[in-house]
Amino acid sequence: MVQTRTDRSGPLLSPDFLTKLDQLELVSRKIFAGKLRGERISKRRGESVEFADYRNYVVGDDLRFLDWNIFARLEKLFIKLFLQEEDLHVSVLLDVSKSMDWGQPHKGLYARRVAAAIAYIGLVNFDRVSLYTYANGLAGELAGVRGRRLMFKVIEFLSGAEYSGTSNLAATGKQFALRHPQPGIVLVISDFFEKGGYEEGLRYLLGRNYDLYVVQVLSPEEMEPSLVGDLKLTDVEDEDTAEVTVTRALLNRYKINLRAYCERLKDYCTRRGVSYLFTGTEVPFDQIVLSYFRQRGLVK
Amino acid sequence: MTFLSPMTIALAAGLTVPPLIALYFLKLKRVVRPVPSTLLWRRAIEDLRVNAPFQRLRSSLLLWLQLAVLVLAALALGQPMLETAQKLEDTVILLIDQSASMGVTEPDGQTRLEKAKELAVRQIDGMSDGSRAMVIAFGDRATVQASFDTDKAALKRKIASIEQTQAPTRLGEAVSLAEAYTQISLMGAETGGDDRPPGATAAPATVFLFTDGRIEDVTRVSLQAFDASRIRVTRLGERSDNVGIVAMDARRNPERPELLEVAATIENFSGQPRTIDAALYVAGRNVDIQSVTLAAAPHSAETSAGDRRPAVAAEERPDSAEPLESAATAQPVAVAAFAPMEYEGGGVVEVMLRVDDALSADDRAWAIVDEPRHVRVLLVSKHPWLLRSALSAMPLTLLTVTPEVYESMPEDRLREGERSAYDLVMFDRHSTSRLPPGNYFFWGSVPRLAGVSAGDAIRSEVIVNWDETHPILRHTAVETLSVFEWQRLRLPPEATAIIEGESSPVLAYLPGGGSQFLISAFALAVEDDEGRLRFNTDWTANVDFVVFLYNTVQYLTSNVGTRSRRSVTPGEAVTLPVPPRTEAVTVTRPDGSEDRAAAAEAGLFHYARTQRVGAYRVTPAVPGAEAFAVNLFNRTESNIRPTDAVTLGGERIEAKAESLALNRPAWRYFLLAGLGFLLLEWIVYNRRVFV
Repeated sequence: MVQTRTDRSGPLLSPDFLTKLDQLELVSRKIFAGKLRGERISKRRGESVEFADYRNYVVGDDLRFLDWNIFARLEKLFIKLFLQEEDLHVSVLLDVSKSMDWGQPHKGLYARRVAAAIAYIGLVNFDRVSLYTYANGLAGELAGVRGRRLMFKVIEFLSGAEYSGTSNLAATGKQFALRHPQPGIVLVISDFFEKGGYEEGLRYLLGRNYDLYVVQVLSPEEMEPSLVGDLKLTDVEDEDTAEVTVTRALLNRYKINLRAYCERLKDYCTRRGVSYLFTGTEVPFDQIVLSYFRQRGLVK
Repeated sequence: MTFLSPMTIALAAGLTVPPLIALYFLKLKRVVRPVPSTLLWRRAIEDLRVNAPFQRLRSSLLLWLQLAVLVLAALALGQPMLETAQKLEDTVILLIDQSASMGVTEPDGQTRLEKAKELAVRQIDGMSDGSRAMVIAFGDRATVQASFDTDKAALKRKIASIEQTQAPTRLGEAVSLAEAYTQISLMGAETGGDDRPPGATAAPATVFLFTDGRIEDVTRVSLQAFDASRIRVTRLGERSDNVGIVAMDARRNPERPELLEVAATIENFSGQPRTIDAALYVAGRNVDIQSVTLAAAPHSAETSAGDRRPAVAAEERPDSAEPLESAATAQPVAVAAFAPMEYEGGGVVEVMLRVDDALSADDRAWAIVDEPRHVRVLLVSKHPWLLRSALSAMPLTLLTVTPEVYESMPEDRLREGERSAYDLVMFDRHSTSRLPPGNYFFWGSVPRLAGVSAGDAIRSEVIVNWDETHPILRHTAVETLSVFEWQRLRLPPEATAIIEGESSPVLAYLPGGGSQFLISAFALAVEDDEGRLRFNTDWTANVDFVVFLYNTVQYLTSNVGTRSRRSVTPGEAVTLPVPPRTEAVTVTRPDGSEDRAAAAEAGLFHYARTQRVGAYRVTPAVPGAEAFAVNLFNRTESNIRPTDAVTLGGERIEAKAESLALNRPAWRYFLLAGLGFLLLEWIVYNRRVFV
């Protein structure tokens, strides 16, 4: 359907929107340890200025952290423990299978914009941002960028993503989990039309205890199909065909099935502590980022 | 409900229903549309199961509707028939009456013939496939419109081409034709000579007779090949209101030939008493009108067809027991006698009834009258006084000459054109060879012609035989005739002896070469040896002699040999004399159209296209034969009341009314139902597809 493939490219983020995003930062419900010290407090005791606790001095401790005031009063050696400030790993898994190259407004563009916004927020807050595109498996990778000045790389990566292949979340989740042992925020943006099922892929991600966010993006054509007559429907991903005679009953059945599918995904996520967010591409994406993500606690 | 072509149903259903069901097995040719994922579609259509190459046949309303449409169409093709009150006949002969009475316009605006044709066409429609039909139209003669054929369209065309005539109804020829064709067809079937499948039994034909029952020769029709039980008579028509001229005569007064006397016999056939005006037209001018009062036709007159009552005067009617006064005014038959009028011209005389009735063909009658003419008789005699005194009592112009004068007369005085200048030349004991074509009476002498001669005198014989039916001897008593002597005659074979002696004719008639000769072997008076005149017979003293002379003049001058009949009935052939060396003759018909036909040999012209009543004019023509009239003059035909039964071959066959239960084709209803189902199918389809 040619018309639904149009308007697939466009500016990912506008300057105004970026200004708004400057105010936000990503919040993880779990505070994760990073490799580098970042701007956020870790559960690990570290070298930040925020005091956490005392403990007895043992040989070998850094003498710089002895609390001399306590020693003066009690003549016992105590080590001051501080909260470690850590950087946050923010990973975005962006579906670039052919089914994302669809819709008016375009599903893929919408997903890339969401990914860019999340990445920007992370970069601004010196989080470690990794972007992955996936289809049959992980396809493209922009790993470990930090700092606002690398935003151009993010834009470049997202703009260069090609739509191809069928989406296979199971393979993707396995690869990502193996390659990405550090905890952090993982955002999966997809339509979740997985012929092999999304459960296995999500299970791989859940196994690493990531702070997992699932964003399901659907175009209006998928939610309210405007098909009529005797049709041979071809799957753009795997060329699978389905012959249908579109009738009122069939359309109703489709919508019921779609609603049930989304409900099942949401149910699956909620049961496992995964934040699920459904959006249609007709919803302005800045609204998603500025209000929906905030409501879900992803940004503040 | 019967189907005329059950094989067609099987064929049509067999050809269409399996493909339709196969189409439901087969996948549709669908429009290819890409979608992001067929995941949900697949789940949605799982119930519909349309994705297999051949799906299991499911009960679909559309399929049932389409099957219904196909089955109804196939049934319509099978030519369903309603009201099959009669058997579907195998071999059918349609006899359609096209006589004058079939031209009656019934109250519904159709003539009886149109109705008959319509019913015949419906009969053809009602035939099963493979049935054969034959169409014969009959009026005064029968015409095979179509011999046995199975092609319904051709048969219908032939039926449509049957034309209305004004001829009387004669069934005999039609029945003979039908029987002959049936015999031929049966023989053909036995020998496999026709197109019927081998082994097919030749079923006896069923005859459908479409008529109003007024058949003239119904009593003379004999059935040989047909069983009366296989004859179906369809009675057509209801009207009976007809008044017609059943006879007419126009003649000149014998005493005063300038006086024209016209009379017409008019009969009322309707159930209502009528008073009508009969108008007389002479040479196109209305000269007289007579009012005639006619009683209603008695119901007893409603006898079977073929009862041909003579057109008689009112007094002879069987119910004349009534007082004479009322009988004269209250009979269904009356004679309109017009006042004698002086009319010197010749031409057409017409009587027209000023009446609005069902049949118009008998409302007018025509007669041809000649110009008044005195018979011119030339008497060639030495002693003419005897014959002259007898002839002078007659209305004729008599010229008397002696034989010497006759022989010396210039040729142009004897001839007028090709013929003799005299209507009759009478020779008294004078033989001559100056005989231009004409009429001659020889007394005691013979014409000098080849094969005619007079021998010795016969004295001792008697008259032994005579033809008392001959017009010349009408009202004469030959037995009282005694002749003293006569000559022995030697005559050619074509001569007819009217009075015969023992060994030789006494009076003979000899036609030939456009002439007529009446030869009397005896003379009225003979001269004895002393030259004195003596009577040879006592006949001259008898009144029979005058009667005999009158008959002779009438007979010889009426030119019966060459003169045509001036009035014929429709369909009858006419023979007219035409001027010599005429090659083609133009006949102007009553409707103004012209027929051109070649003249036959011997100055005669035959014409048979006399189906319509009226005056026909002929050019070129000999005087007196310029026109002839065709008149219906048929009481059977004028009596248009349809009969309830027809007796054929001694068996009475009930005539069914025209609303006879014919096979009514019902394919329209099937097609209509099919269309209804098609509409329903369309609605259902649209409701399912458009959302």
